[in-house]
Amino acid sequence: MSPEGLAFAPVLLPLLGAAIVFLAKAFFRGRGAVIVEYTGVFTGLYLPWLALIFLFPVVINGSAVTGVIGHWNSGVGISYRFDGLAWMVNVLGYTLGGAAWLHSLSSGPKGPSFSAIFLIQTAALGATIMTADLFNLFVSLEVLGISSYILVSSSEKPGAALASFSYLMVSSTAMVFFLLGLFGLYRITGSLSYEGIAAGLGHLDGNALATAVISLSLLVGAIAIRVAVMPLYGWLPDAHALAPHAVSAVLSGVLIKTPLFALSRILILFPIGKEAGQLMSYAGAATALLAVIIALSQKDVKRLLAYHSISQIGYIVCTWGAAVAVGIGTKAGTLLMAAAFLHALFHAVFKGLLFLSIGSSVDAAGERDVYKLRGAVSILKRSGDKAAIAFFGFLVGALSISAIPPFNGFTSKTAMTYLLKYYGQYGSVLYWILTIAGAGTAASFIKLSRIYWPDKEKISTVFPERTDSGPVLPGVIAIIFLSVLCILGGIFTPLIFKTVTALLSGKSLTMGDGYSFFSTGNLLKSLYTAGAGALVFLLATGNAGSALLKKVRERPRSFQGLFVSYALAAAAMAGWLLYHAAP
Amino acid sequence: MMVMIERLLLFLLFLLGFWGILAKQNIIKKIISLNLINSAVVILFVLEGSRIGNKAPILEEGIAGIVDPIPQALMLTAIVIGVCVTALSLALAYRLYKAAGTFNIEDIRKEVSRK
Repeated sequence: MSPEGLAFAPVLLPLLGAAIVFLAKAFFRGRGAVIVEYTGVFTGLYLPWLALIFLFPVVINGSAVTGVIGHWNSGVGISYRFDGLAWMVNVLGYTLGGAAWLHSLSSGPKGPSFSAIFLIQTAALGATIMTADLFNLFVSLEVLGISSYILVSSSEKPGAALASFSYLMVSSTAMVFFLLGLFGLYRITGSLSYEGIAAGLGHLDGNALATAVISLSLLVGAIAIRVAVMPLYGWLPDAHALAPHAVSAVLSGVLIKTPLFALSRILILFPIGKEAGQLMSYAGAATALLAVIIALSQKDVKRLLAYHSISQIGYIVCTWGAAVAVGIGTKAGTLLMAAAFLHALFHAVFKGLLFLSIGSSVDAAGERDVYKLRGAVSILKRSGDKAAIAFFGFLVGALSISAIPPFNGFTSKTAMTYLLKYYGQYGSVLYWILTIAGAGTAASFIKLSRIYWPDKEKISTVFPERTDSGPVLPGVIAIIFLSVLCILGGIFTPLIFKTVTALLSGKSLTMGDGYSFFSTGNLLKSLYTAGAGALVFLLATGNAGSALLKKVRERPRSFQGLFVSYALAAAAMAGWLLYHAAP
Repeated sequence: MMVMIERLLLFLLFLLGFWGILAKQNIIKKIISLNLINSAVVILFVLEGSRIGNKAPILEEGIAGIVDPIPQALMLTAIVIGVCVTALSLALAYRLYKAAGTFNIEDIRKEVSRK
């Protein structure tokens, strides 16, 4: 098959799979339905790997498969671009999507409806990252959104419907603003494809420039909601905490990052895109630190993990924004972008692992409060997970996110902080903010690990027997698979980093002469950060610490706050850009 | 002059919807308001697309002065997406009503956190 045809496989195969799964729902009963459903899922989630393998030699040297869908004229049809970035985001999506679906066989929700929506969401991910047309991006983001609202509400908990509703309202409203921004750009450039917009933006006078700036702010604001950068994070904790575990893993691991990387395609079109990246970078650093403080205060285990997703996406946005600010085409930009992607990939793996293993543990125990649940290891063993694989999965994930060598979070975090300090504006400030956030991360995972400590004080009551009788094996396989990836990712980081830079720019780059991921300095830094984390944990469990954290946990949150923060963030972005665009 | 009045009316419609989403406590009213701002943007697109000409956009020899067809095509898609979002949000509203017995968002929040 030609590369043009293969490039669409990551979008079309999941859609085909979803159609097959719906057939299972409509026409088959019993065993036949299961076989047809699994065939559909195999087509949609695992077969695209073949296409990705064949596409690797096409994109590795920096070239891309581009064109217009259906061979229409470029002004009318939808342009697409499948390049190294699209390839990598697809790899990220299919790695975690495959593992999460496998885990859903153990932890639920089961059934063809869930599988079909899951597949449609995967297709929308592929479409979001390979589109080169602004309106098509709008459609992809909407499909992505709608499928994730449904998946969040597929949990039986009553809070899940409310979380899904809040997410829907704020995200749909933001997408209307996105449409307004799209309208502004269409009016001044007469085009919707990225190429056409870039060409039209070349010659603008004062009035049109202001329109361009405001339109861009609306687009960035709408995407920033999906990425959950501070102050636009309010919808995420509920949605991610209350969704089924497999969905939480995909939402946190893949869904919040894809729009971010799609946004970098838009920002490079604008002369003022660099300033937008700079502001996003600062917002990212603030997100990383603030979210980890809130995370430390949580008592629901999955909500704690959800706040960590915000914090980790803060790291990624900070580095990504710095890459946009120095220019994606430059060497520094490529290195920063590669580090941002590396952390996005590694975060997807370890956060997915954490959600799945913690999910298995709290399901077995029937209790989610980190202050009440103890002795989860023996509970796991009793529930059928004989070797307590979920506990070891948690251990690997927690060591990864706390940046302990040789796990993968260690290398990506050191790469990001090193490069930010070296190339970023106010880099050393960002370096310290992220390092302090790292100590907070270690502290909150020490706190979270208490659910596995032996139940000496008999805090845990007698837990109900496991209610849903899904087989344990698929979930265990998913956890082992992701754990192995965490360790391999850490050990082979130099090789992966080189490949990522090659996919981004066509040339493989290294971090710099004499830089080693596992240098003594980096190892010592990791040790200090973990030590500081232990200290923070002790402070946080003290009387003053707990009182303060209780205040943070019970701060007022409202539906209106989501919208007010959106308006403020878009206005701040427009103000910042107008200030920098003024001659 | 006419142009400005049309734009002003659309802006008012948009503000009305945004106010409804923010200030109304009833989730059905919030959903209606979401439809309002969506419609305001749809009308804006169609209105601005019709400014250029006044003929139907059929690309044949000898036809000139057509309206810009792209905004219309886009808005068809946007309307379809709007319908999907509305349907889904109404389904969620139904589930929330079944769980909490009310459409008031603050009461639902209290009810849900109590459970």
